Amino acid sequence: MVEQYNPIGAGGLMGPGKGLSPVQTTQKIDDGSDFKSLLMKSINEVNRLQNEADQATVNLATGKTDNIAEVFTAINKADIAFRTLMEIRNKLMSAYEEVNQMRV
Amino acid sequence: MFNSMDISTSGLVAQRIRMNTCAMNLANVDTTRTPEGGPYQRRSVVFQAGMDARDKTAQGVHIADIEKQPIFRKEYDPSHPHADKDGYVKLPGIDIFTEQLNMMEAQRAYEANITAIEVSKAMLNSSLRLLV
Repeated sequence: MVEQYNPIGAGGLMGPGKGLSPVQTTQKIDDGSDFKSLLMKSINEVNRLQNEADQATVNLATGKTDNIAEVFTAINKADIAFRTLMEIRNKLMSAYEEVNQMRV
Repeated sequence: MFNSMDISTSGLVAQRIRMNTCAMNLANVDTTRTPEGGPYQRRSVVFQAGMDARDKTAQGVHIADIEKQPIFRKEYDPSHPHADKDGYVKLPGIDIFTEQLNMMEAQRAYEANITAIEVSKAMLNSSLRLLV
């Protein structure tokens, strides 16, 4: 499976999702539900990774698994996914504030 | 997004299993009695591409099989309970130096996979800088 760089709407934020369909200028601009679904998908993915990491930690603590490599990888993945989500959130908030302070 | 991390983790798991078999071989270097009868047989791991047996994408690695090798050495010790009529004992054909080398290889391969995880983590972290 070779993922290629796709300049417009390349993939989802998390994982090899279907991603956004490229926005055509001739198309009628829709109500942004595409972005909303992408955001919700990303949040769900982050949540899933967090749950996975939680479950892995519990399994390690209770002795269900002795596979520390997999547990640590799950924690790492959850950490990076969450920080990515936070960065996107920060970017969105700063953009919103900038628009909010705009004088008309 | 986390492909390379999962691949390296499968390498870590496989190398741990390899290390386990090395430890087993070393511990049983003089074992003459086993549940299945006869002296202990040296184990060696077979690596196969793919996360598990059903994986056809050939990403990552897993241990397909742990082979038994019926190779033995003979030692003269008439007092041993398992000695044959000529006074020779059949012992597992394990060379501790080979095992030690195998362990070192497993250790280095483990470290290499750890480094690969660190690098992919650093790459993901530095791509976060694009957004700031």
